[in-house]
Amino acid sequence: MGLYVAARLVVADHSHEQEVVRMRKALSDGQLNFLLAINFLVLICAAVLSSGQFVNPYNLQSMASQMPELGLLGLGVTLAMISGSGGIDLSGIALANLAAIVGIMLVSRIVDTNTSPFLFTCALIITTLAVGILGGMLNGLLISRIKLTPILCTLGTQLLFTGLAVVLSNGSAIRMGYVGPMDVIGNDTVAGVPIDFAVFVAIAAFTGAILRFSPFGLRLLLIGTNAKAARYAGIAEERMLFTTYTLCGALAAMAGAIIVARNSAAKWDYGSSYVLIAILIAVMAGVRPEGGSGRVICVVFSMMALQFLSSTFNFFGFSNYFRDCAWGLLLLLFLASSRLRVGNLSFRRARPGISLQR
Amino acid sequence: MIRKLTYMAIAAACISAIGAVSAQQNQVIVTVVKDTGESWFIRMAEGVKAFGMANPGVTTSEVGPGKADAAQQLQVIEDTMARKIDALAVVPMDASLVEGVLGRALQRGIVVVTHEASTEKNTMVDIEAFNNAAFGAHMNDRLANCMGGKGKWTSFVGSLGSLTHVQWADGAAANAAKKYPDMVLVNPKNESFNDANTAYNKAKEILRKYPDIKGFQGGSAVDVLGIARAIEEAGLVGKVCVGGTGLPKDTAKYLESGAVYGVSFWDPKDAGFVMNEMAMLLLDHKPITDGMDLGVKGYDKVHVSKGPGKGLLVVGSAWLDADKNNYKDYPF
Repeated sequence: MGLYVAARLVVADHSHEQEVVRMRKALSDGQLNFLLAINFLVLICAAVLSSGQFVNPYNLQSMASQMPELGLLGLGVTLAMISGSGGIDLSGIALANLAAIVGIMLVSRIVDTNTSPFLFTCALIITTLAVGILGGMLNGLLISRIKLTPILCTLGTQLLFTGLAVVLSNGSAIRMGYVGPMDVIGNDTVAGVPIDFAVFVAIAAFTGAILRFSPFGLRLLLIGTNAKAARYAGIAEERMLFTTYTLCGALAAMAGAIIVARNSAAKWDYGSSYVLIAILIAVMAGVRPEGGSGRVICVVFSMMALQFLSSTFNFFGFSNYFRDCAWGLLLLLFLASSRLRVGNLSFRRARPGISLQR
Repeated sequence: MIRKLTYMAIAAACISAIGAVSAQQNQVIVTVVKDTGESWFIRMAEGVKAFGMANPGVTTSEVGPGKADAAQQLQVIEDTMARKIDALAVVPMDASLVEGVLGRALQRGIVVVTHEASTEKNTMVDIEAFNNAAFGAHMNDRLANCMGGKGKWTSFVGSLGSLTHVQWADGAAANAAKKYPDMVLVNPKNESFNDANTAYNKAKEILRKYPDIKGFQGGSAVDVLGIARAIEEAGLVGKVCVGGTGLPKDTAKYLESGAVYGVSFWDPKDAGFVMNEMAMLLLDHKPITDGMDLGVKGYDKVHVSKGPGKGLLVVGSAWLDADKNNYKDYPF
């Protein structure tokens, strides 16, 4: 209990001076600065090389609207990783595809797309979310109650979700057809900002707020830092893990809804390469694989950096094999950078001996 | 803190300052394929390049994802659209999944041509190398020729979701039912998931289940490789006929040994060339008419009909056959 109260107090303090200190602290987050620097570097290089074409509004919009699918999955992986004890979610894209397929198949049987497109859109989003939450709950139950290792459990559910999606869709793509409001969500802009990107930013902000300001977020960070201590401090670990993986499922379902909105179709093997890239995003964002630390804003910027890089390669017609290589390089760079203090560019001395920190 | 904010402001200013756009002289046609590393699309790139060489004033290139994933292909198309291009030629992973992005391309005024996507709605012209049912029937005639028109046979497909493969298998079945009453189709449309190893295991299962089977017809280009391996291991070379879709170079070993009597295919190089040719015609606002000549053998008298959307469906008769005697003529 003591640890819990102490941590609460730190968060609850809101005096002005503290605020300034926190602001300064926010800007001195090495990971965030590094990510921002990478973003600007890539953007400037690409802009110069393309003599400005890369930063024309159309390309910026196109890149922004490509981000949400992977970004939401990256957020899910982040939450799972923060929860510690090997937390990870490999079933994200499989669940997203399953939710999207069930959504389209079920709703188009009940609601007519031509006469009531708004009702269709609402029903589709709700169904998709429901499937995602159910799938997330399954993961949560297996991991919190039956104590399965997350990586094995989500690998299993990934195959289960994929299998279900194949059986339901008979292996082919499920078309939604043209539905006005869905098309607006997937392809339209408001004040120059793609709507799906705005949705992504809103969800990310919400997730970030939960992590930072809610008791749930605090407990999650504590569990991830030291599960045993958190248990002695009276945190219901089982319920926390269950909720976390349910949230991951909900995030995956939202990715599924956006996939449908953008492609007006869903398929079981869509985004098979997303599993590893979502993990890459989280690791690049400085989310510690051991759990207990990670910032949502870093996840957003790490997603952005990957998007800029990958779009740069596509924009200049580089081979995508080279892109995979570049991403691997980037990952190594980021892992190294955690040993490098970005402020004064000096190497932090490695901790001597066995680390007891855990 | 203030210094850092200033840095960020300067960086942002830099980016917006470079916002000048330079004019492009050449017309740009970009071909987007499923996976640039596959030998099929490496061959297609030759055709794309050849078109660019033959037409000064046109810049052609082939791009695609490093993994055969529909999501990555979509991103490649989106990023390609964002640069100033005039035409897109797309070989989609899945025709339904690219409807959205191709619709956006058409809205942007980009000329869109597709290949192997006869159900695509958001395209101006879809080009097919041949009528799929006719190709299936053709492969079946070759199989029947090898089998002497009688005995049990079966067909393979990459997956039941691969529309063209299913059409070939169905076309072959219809042809056999009509022309060869003594041929008995058993266990049709086995799925190999485009994997020679899966095809090998399936073929072994079928040999156990139907020891008297006489013929196999492959669907995906690697099916014959797996089936032929199973036939060789069972010591049935010369007793069981194996043929179907396949690439001459990959199948060379089995064509030599006689495990495969022959493969049928179309040349991706020609398909790449013709897609770009078609994009060029559309850019120049030339009419597309039934029976027209696109300047490549097999596409010299194309059949033009209305597609499923607003676009046209252009069908050639560009299939090629290879056997032990002539496979060396095709370097792919």
